[in-house]
Amino acid sequence: MKLTVINLLKQVPLPSEMRMGDDGLMDRTKAKSIINIDCQFALEAGLQIKKQYPDVRLVVCSMGPASFETSLRKALALGYDEAYLLTDNKLRGSDTYATGLALSHLLHYLGFSKESEEKFIVLAGRQSSDGDTAHVPSQVAAHLGVAQATFVEKIQLQDGEYLIAKRIIEGGFQEMKLPLPCVVSITPTGVSLRKPSLYTTIKAKEKKITRLGIADINLGVENIGISGSPTIVVKVVDMLSEHAAVRIMQGADEKEKVKKLLLALSEKNDDNQQKEEKQQEEQKEIPDFPMQDIRDDYRGILTWAEVVNQKISRSSIEILSAARQLQTQLDNETKITTLLIGDKVKHLAEDLIAYGADEVVVVEDNRLQEYQILPFTSAFVQYIQKIRPEIVLFAATTAGRELAPRIAVYTGSGVTADCTDLEIGYYINRKKQIINYPLLHSHRPTYGESKLATILGFKFPQISTARPGTFSIPLHDTSRQGKITTFHPSWKDDDFCVSLLQTFRNESGLQNLFDADVIVSGGRGATVDNLQLIKDLIEVFRQKGVKADWGASRVAVDAGFAPYTRQVGQTGITVRPKCYIAVGISGAIQHIAGLKEAEKIIAIDENPKASIFKYADYGIVGKYQDVLPEFIEQLSQCENIDAILSGC
Amino acid sequence: MDSNTVNTNVLIIGGGPAGLSAAVHLANLFEEQQIKKRIMLIEKGKAIGSHTLSGAIVVPEVFKLLFKDRDFNEIPFDTKVVKDKIVLLSKKRKIKLPFPIPYMRNKGNYVASLSQLCQYMASVAEEKGVEIYSGFSVNEILYENGRVVGAKTIDTGVDGLGNPMLNFQEGTKILADVVVFAEGVRGTLTQALVRKFRLDENRNNQMFSLGCKELWSVPEGRIKAGKVYHTMGYPLMNEAFGGGFIYGLKNNKLALGLVVGLDYQDPTFDIHHAFQIWKTHPFIKKMIQGGKLLEYGAKTLPEGGYYAIPKLTVDNALIVGDAAGFLAMPALKGIHLAMYSAILAAQTIVEALVKNDFSETTLSAYERAIKNSVIYKEMYPVRNVRQAFADGLIAGGIQFAFQFITGGAGLRGRLYPKSDSETTKKLKNYKRKTFKERFKNQCDFDKEYTFDKATDVYYSGVHHDENQVPHLRVSDVAAFNEINIKEYGAPCQYFCPAEVYEIHTKKDGSQELRIHFENCVHCKTCDIKSVDNRISWHLPNGDNGPDYRYM
Repeated sequence: MKLTVINLLKQVPLPSEMRMGDDGLMDRTKAKSIINIDCQFALEAGLQIKKQYPDVRLVVCSMGPASFETSLRKALALGYDEAYLLTDNKLRGSDTYATGLALSHLLHYLGFSKESEEKFIVLAGRQSSDGDTAHVPSQVAAHLGVAQATFVEKIQLQDGEYLIAKRIIEGGFQEMKLPLPCVVSITPTGVSLRKPSLYTTIKAKEKKITRLGIADINLGVENIGISGSPTIVVKVVDMLSEHAAVRIMQGADEKEKVKKLLLALSEKNDDNQQKEEKQQEEQKEIPDFPMQDIRDDYRGILTWAEVVNQKISRSSIEILSAARQLQTQLDNETKITTLLIGDKVKHLAEDLIAYGADEVVVVEDNRLQEYQILPFTSAFVQYIQKIRPEIVLFAATTAGRELAPRIAVYTGSGVTADCTDLEIGYYINRKKQIINYPLLHSHRPTYGESKLATILGFKFPQISTARPGTFSIPLHDTSRQGKITTFHPSWKDDDFCVSLLQTFRNESGLQNLFDADVIVSGGRGATVDNLQLIKDLIEVFRQKGVKADWGASRVAVDAGFAPYTRQVGQTGITVRPKCYIAVGISGAIQHIAGLKEAEKIIAIDENPKASIFKYADYGIVGKYQDVLPEFIEQLSQCENIDAILSGC
Repeated sequence: MDSNTVNTNVLIIGGGPAGLSAAVHLANLFEEQQIKKRIMLIEKGKAIGSHTLSGAIVVPEVFKLLFKDRDFNEIPFDTKVVKDKIVLLSKKRKIKLPFPIPYMRNKGNYVASLSQLCQYMASVAEEKGVEIYSGFSVNEILYENGRVVGAKTIDTGVDGLGNPMLNFQEGTKILADVVVFAEGVRGTLTQALVRKFRLDENRNNQMFSLGCKELWSVPEGRIKAGKVYHTMGYPLMNEAFGGGFIYGLKNNKLALGLVVGLDYQDPTFDIHHAFQIWKTHPFIKKMIQGGKLLEYGAKTLPEGGYYAIPKLTVDNALIVGDAAGFLAMPALKGIHLAMYSAILAAQTIVEALVKNDFSETTLSAYERAIKNSVIYKEMYPVRNVRQAFADGLIAGGIQFAFQFITGGAGLRGRLYPKSDSETTKKLKNYKRKTFKERFKNQCDFDKEYTFDKATDVYYSGVHHDENQVPHLRVSDVAAFNEINIKEYGAPCQYFCPAEVYEIHTKKDGSQELRIHFENCVHCKTCDIKSVDNRISWHLPNGDNGPDYRYM
C-alpha cells in the first residue's frame, strides 16, 4: 500500500525556561528545548501505523529556526524516514494563520495536496505548550481543503482507505471515519511514547534533514511573518509577579472558616485587576492622530450556540454575556446574531434570545444530530459572507477550538484562542500616524498561564474563542424581543465525507484530570474514609455544572486509595485547573511540581506547618473530617458558584 | 544483516572519565597511526555527565597527557586549589590539624565539576570521530563460544512484568572486536563478567564508601573559589569511617558532601541523615547560611584498593576505571587513576587492532602496563590503608602510621576485609547506641539548610519511566521479611540516600518493603550493603536516573 504519514512537529522551550525577547516575541534561542509533548504523541501515532503497515513512508516536517533540527533528528531516531525543515528569517512573527499557510505550502511542495494521487495522513500534536492555541492542525486542514479530526486519542487505519479516529470531547468521545487524505491532531493520552532504539538512532545520524526556505516552496513573503499574519500581539503583561502569601481562614469553627473561604473566593481577583488598571493608566496618553475605522461594512457580532445533548451548552450562553459587553462598548446599532445549527433545534432559539441574542438564525438538517466540523464550517462561512459581522465568538470547547480556526482560513481572519477577557479598544499605528478604532482586544493567558497577552486582528471578521467559565451566565429575560430566522446553506457532498460512528457522553464521569476546572486531591491525611468526603465534594461541584474531578498524592496512591492515573505530581500527571483543593496533603516538592500551574490553590490540613501552605493561596487549618462536610454543605447551598469560580 | 545489529571495532560501555579517556586516547592513537576503525561509546545517562558525580578535586597531569593537542585553558576546570585544610570537628567546635595527613595534599590540583569535565571530554572525542550515544542502557553481554562478542541494549516499552506493550522496542545488538567495560563503581555487566570468568579469584572483597553531595549557591564572600576543606570527626566520630568535604567554586558556588565507608555495623546508620546533621555544625552552617540548594546527588566509591582489583582482561574485553576499583586511599582520588588505566587500555587495544588479535594473551599487556605505571606507584603503598580502618578510626589511624613507615605492609601484612554486606549487625547484636537513637532529636529538617531525602532527591533531577521492569529487585521476599526486616530492622530504609525503600506496616501489624525505584539516583548502595545481598541493582531504561548538571 502506498501511503505517507506526515508529521508536523514543533520544538518548544521547556515550560520552566520560557522567556521572551526584547521585541515581545518568543526568544527560542536561549531556552533548553524539547519536542512539544503533544507532538511526541503524534509521532508515536505515526509509528503505530508503520508498525501495522511497514510499507508506509514516514515524513516529519517542522517550521522554525535551524535549532529545530535537534527535534527532527530525534524523530528520525524514532523511525521516521525523511525530515524537512522550513526555516527562513522571514517566517519570524507568523501567527497561526500564516503558520498553517506556510506548512500547507510545504506539503504542496512535497507533493501532498488534495489532488495528489498518493494517499496521505497529516498528524500533528493537539496544541503546543508555548502557543497553546490548537489552531494550526485545523488551519493546515483548511488550507489543504481536506477533512480533519482534532483532539484525537487513537487512530486506526481501515482498508488503507479510511482512518477511524477517536476524538475526545467534553465528558466523552466521538468515533469517526475519515477519508484520506486528512489531518489529525493527537492528544497526549494515546499510546505511551517509545524510546528510540540505538539502531534507529545510529541510522538517523546518516539521514539528511532537508532545509527549505520560503523561496524554495514558492511562498510569497507577503503571506507570512508579521505581514502575512492577520493577528498581532500588542502587549504582554505578567499576570502574577510574586506568589502572594497564603491567606489562612480564621474563625471560631469550621463553619466560619469555610464561609470565609467561599467569601474570599468570590471576591474578584485583586492582584490581576490592579495590575491591569495600572497598565491602562500608563497607556492613557494617546497621540493626536486621526481616528480611522477600518471595518468597512463589517458590523455586528455573531456567536455560535453549541448544542450538546439537545441543550444549548453552558459555555455558549456565557459568550452571549461577552457579546453583550462588547455590544455596549460599540454602539447601540450593533446586533448580536447567534447561529444555531443542528437537527430539530429550533425550539432552543427562544432561550438564546432570552439570554441576549438579537437574532437567532436556525440551520436545520437531519444529518446534523451531532456537531461535525465540515458542514458546520460550511454553514458558518456562507453565513458570515452573507451578513459580514465584525466579530465572531465561539466558546473554546473542543468543538469551538477547531471550528473557529478552520472558518478563519476561509474568511481570511485571525483567531485568538481561549480568551479570558474581550473588550473594544484602539490601535495606535505610529508608522501611519493614525488610530484604528474600534477593534476587538482579546486577552489570553499564555506562557503557562504566567502572562496575559493582548491580541488584535486587522482582518474582518475578528474571531475569538472564549474560555468556558470565564464569563458569567447572562440574565435570562423571557421578555426580551428578538428575531428567529432560518438559513439554508448550500451543502456540498464533501461536507459530509466524514461519518460519525458513535458519540459517547457521560454526564459527569470520564472527564479527565487534564480538563477539569476543579480538582480536589487527597493525601495521607485524608484517607481515613477512603477519600469518600473528597468524592462527595466533587459530586457537589458536578451537580452545579462544574467540570470537577478528584486526584491523589503519591502516598494515597501507593496506599491503594486511588489508581495511579489519578496521581498528581512529578511522577504522576501535571494538572492546571482553575482551582486545586489539596486535602491532607503535606506538600512534598514532587507533588507541588504537578499542581503549581493551577490558578488557585486551596490547602486544607491539620498541620499548620505543612509545606503545602507555602504554595497555597488560601488555607484552612483543621481536620478534614470537620472541614469538608461544612464545605460540602455550604457549597451545595451556594447559589452563585460562578462567582466562586471566577475568583479562582 | 538483521535490522537490530550494529558493528563496531571498539565498544566502550560507560561515558564517565574512564570510558571517555579510553575513547579520546584511542582516537589520538588512531590519528597518529592513521588507523581507520570505529569506536562506539554508550552511556546510560540522559546525556554525558548526567550520571557523573564527584567532589571533585582533580589532578591535572593526566588531562595534559590526554589533551596535549589542545589548549589547556580550554579544559573546564572550575578553579585551581588555593588553600587546603583539614579540620577535626567536635560537636560544636573545630580544630585545625597541626600536621598534614600523608597523601592528602592538593597543591597544584583543581576543584572541578566532573560532569562538566566529562562533557568536555565527550565533545573532543566526538570531534575526533568517536561515536557517542547517551541515553541507552546496555544490559546484556553477548557471548559466542564463551568469548565476549559484544553487548545488547535493553528492550524498552514493556510493562512492569516485562511484557511488551504497544510501544515495544527491541534492544540493539552491538558486535565488537573488543569491549571496554567502563561502567563505573559496581558496574552491573562488569560484575557479571567477573563472576563468569572468576576474575576476582584471590582478590580481596571490594570495599565501598557512599558519598552524598549537595551543590549550593551561597552569598558573596562565604568561601573563596579554590578553597578546600576536609573534615573529620562529627558526626561520624568513631562509629563509621569517613569525612566531609567543602570546596569553594567560582560564581559563589559551593560543593559539599559527606563520604562514609559502607563497612559500618550499625543497622540504622543513615549517611544522608548524617550529612544533614553535619551541615548543622556551626563551621559548615555559617558557609551555607543564606544560600540556596542547587543540586543533590549520591554515589559510591570503590575503596578496597590494590588487593581488590580483579583480573582486568579476558578474550575480547577489558575493565577500566572505577569498575575495576582504581582509587587511592586515603586521598580518596580515583579520577586520574581511572583515566590512566583507560589510557593504558587504549594502548593495548591499538596493538591488538594492529595485530588483529584480541585474545587475552594480547590484551593482558594492559595488566602488565598497569604494574609499571603511576597507578601501581600510587596504589601499592596504600594497599592496606582502608582495610585497617575497618577496626575503627583510632585503631586504623595507628595502623596507617605504621603502614606509612613500612611502605604499606604495616604490622600485619596483607589485610583481608569482610564484604560490606557482611558487616551490618543484627539489631539485637548491636550493643552501642544506634544512629537513630543518638540523633533522634535531630530528625527535623528545616528545608532551608537541611532536607529530607525526598526533597533532596528532587534536586537530583531524577526520572524513571513508569513502565518498565523495576530495576531494584529482592531475591527472596520471605527471607527478606524474616531476616532483613525483622532481625536487622530493614537497614535499606536508612542506607539508601534517595528514599527508594519504604517499610510499610500493614493493618495486621506485619511489615513489608515498598520499592520506589523512580527515586533511585544509581548510587548502587543497596546492591552493595543489603544483608546477604538480597537486594540487587539492575539496569533500568536508558536516559533514566539522575540528571546532574554541575556535580
